[in-house]
Amino acid sequence: MTSQRAIETGVGLFLLAAMTALLVLAFRVSGLTGFIQQEGYQISAAFDDIGQLKVRSAVRIDGVNIGEVTDIHLDPVSFRALVTMRINATVRQLPDDSSAAILTSGLLGDNYIAITPMYSQSFLKPGDRIRETHSAMILEKLIGQFLFNVQSSRKNSTQGKSP
Amino acid sequence: MTDLIKINALYFNRGDRAIFSDVALNVPKGSIVAIMGPSGTGKTTLLQLIGGQLRPDRGEILVAGECVHTLNRSALYRLRRKIGMLFQSGGLFTHLTVFENVAFPLREHTQLSESMIRSIVLLKLQMVGLRGARDLMPAELSGGMSRRVALARAIALDPELVMYDEPFSGQDPISMGVLVRLIRTLNDALGLTTVIVSHDVPETLSIADYVYVLSGGKIEGQGTPDALMHNPPAGVNQFLQGLPDGPVPFDYPAVDILKDLTGEEAGHYA
Amino acid sequence: MLNRVGDLGRSGLEWVRELGRAGLLLYRMLFCIPNIRKHGLQLISQQVFAEGVLSLSIIVVSGLFIGMVLALQGHHTLAKFGASMELGPLVALSVLRELGPVVTAILFAGRAGTALAAEIGLMQATAQISSMEMMAVDPVRRILAPRLWGGFISLPLLTLIFNVTAIYGAWLVGVQWLGFDSGTFWSNMQSSVDFHADVVNGIIKSIVFGFVVTMIAVYQGYFARPTSAGIANATTRTIVYSSLAVLGLDFVLTAMMIGGW
Repeated sequence: MTSQRAIETGVGLFLLAAMTALLVLAFRVSGLTGFIQQEGYQISAAFDDIGQLKVRSAVRIDGVNIGEVTDIHLDPVSFRALVTMRINATVRQLPDDSSAAILTSGLLGDNYIAITPMYSQSFLKPGDRIRETHSAMILEKLIGQFLFNVQSSRKNSTQGKSP
Repeated sequence: MTDLIKINALYFNRGDRAIFSDVALNVPKGSIVAIMGPSGTGKTTLLQLIGGQLRPDRGEILVAGECVHTLNRSALYRLRRKIGMLFQSGGLFTHLTVFENVAFPLREHTQLSESMIRSIVLLKLQMVGLRGARDLMPAELSGGMSRRVALARAIALDPELVMYDEPFSGQDPISMGVLVRLIRTLNDALGLTTVIVSHDVPETLSIADYVYVLSGGKIEGQGTPDALMHNPPAGVNQFLQGLPDGPVPFDYPAVDILKDLTGEEAGHYA
Repeated sequence: MLNRVGDLGRSGLEWVRELGRAGLLLYRMLFCIPNIRKHGLQLISQQVFAEGVLSLSIIVVSGLFIGMVLALQGHHTLAKFGASMELGPLVALSVLRELGPVVTAILFAGRAGTALAAEIGLMQATAQISSMEMMAVDPVRRILAPRLWGGFISLPLLTLIFNVTAIYGAWLVGVQWLGFDSGTFWSNMQSSVDFHADVVNGIIKSIVFGFVVTMIAVYQGYFARPTSAGIANATTRTIVYSSLAVLGLDFVLTAMMIGGW
């Protein structure tokens, strides 16, 4: 019968090993950096179509993560999708004429918001809204547009040929 | 003399078998009462009913004035502290030493200091003659020794009632002699009341003050050992004398032997 | 024919009765927390040691081999699609979401679950539990509840250790043996693994499994027939029912998690 002290030491080491494993999983395997709520400020943007954008989707400038989406809901007045996002405090001076677009990472990846900073001298304050937005590309609309273009160019060429 | 245990009109069934039909018995305080009978008559069941591990279908069982099967859990546990029970297989905790086994009830139910517990445990072990074996593990004990340790554990809290379930079965003559002497001595020295369930006739009758013989769910006979030996009721005699045939038949029920050897079924083997 | 139907009905009722008994036992175990008693924590830590710490060897070795095999097989197939750099995410996601919780639970059932069932069954057979009852100590609180909590605490911890060991095994094969770049391995993994959806969900699964496996083991041991055949049956039933329960619950939990709870 192992002594009580040996047992307690064993259990303590076991717990320690498991906690270390958890930390390794958290930081090395899943790249969890934003676990502590980073300081930041909220801004919003309205889109016609958010595609596959979800809460906690990334917000990036030039491909670099600078924040995440915190809320998505439908504006009942304008019927546009209102997306609220938290920008890290390190990104302090975002020009207020910047545009926001919903892009896809890679070919079949998740959607994220890409902010393109412009040249204004006044900056976005907490609670401000980005005015220029580009919605997500919806495949059906693209195909529809493509077919329409093909149709109209054919029509033009046949029209042009008739004497 | 007041009765420590009073059982009235006890009925108990297991499935469709009636284990007890209208059984009544009394155990006077300070005496040794033996409950005997052939195997399978439910003697162990009776102990379980007295201890509150089973509930009777009808009737009442009074222990120290309290009706056992109507008690709630905490009252039942309080009652059980006054009862010590020795099981047939000993029931020692295999992961504890002999000392720890006997100390177990003391640690659980009292707030005594370690030195007090040590003194009490050593005294109890001394009573059963195993004080020197205190650091052995149960696996290292012989059958007789582990029963004695279980006995020391059963009396650790100084109970009023001690119940023995087949204490003599499978023991060599020396261990049997030791146990017989212990049961009588402890009962008298500590002022206990003892109930022994057994089918070892000579040993039990040598120390019992009163005997009940159970058979077929009823009490076939009762009385002091002398009375029973000299004037046994019908079914009891076969049991007490150890006769192979009598009210309990030798042959298991079967068809006539001639028919078995020469009849239809035998024809299949021709 | 009618007899068969009767038998079926009877076994169905018997099954419901068993479920009821298990439920009552669970109630007694949960609401009589040993912590209240003087050495409750000591009892639980003894069980965590017996169930968790002593299972570490099989868990670590299994984790290592599973990680290594995953890396080997994964690389073999991914290379055909030119997607070898996805090896890190492949291993991490398979292990964290499914293999970690499920394999650890089944190994735990085999090692600690059967040991529990056999131990408790043997205590029943040698009248230790009855003795305890007659000494006015509740065996459910003293023996069963600490073992339930021990398993419940041990399995998630074991799963964490299994996960890390498996990923490390994959790293060994992928980086040290097959020659992948260590940096790419980790960074690809980090960008594909989400802490909440993968790591935390895996831990939630292992908590559920820990509870179920230990409960089955304790139940089978406590209600085993007090003969040697009865105890043998109890141990085989423990591992069979535990494995089935783990796999079934894994499906249910995965469906809930993918659906986004």
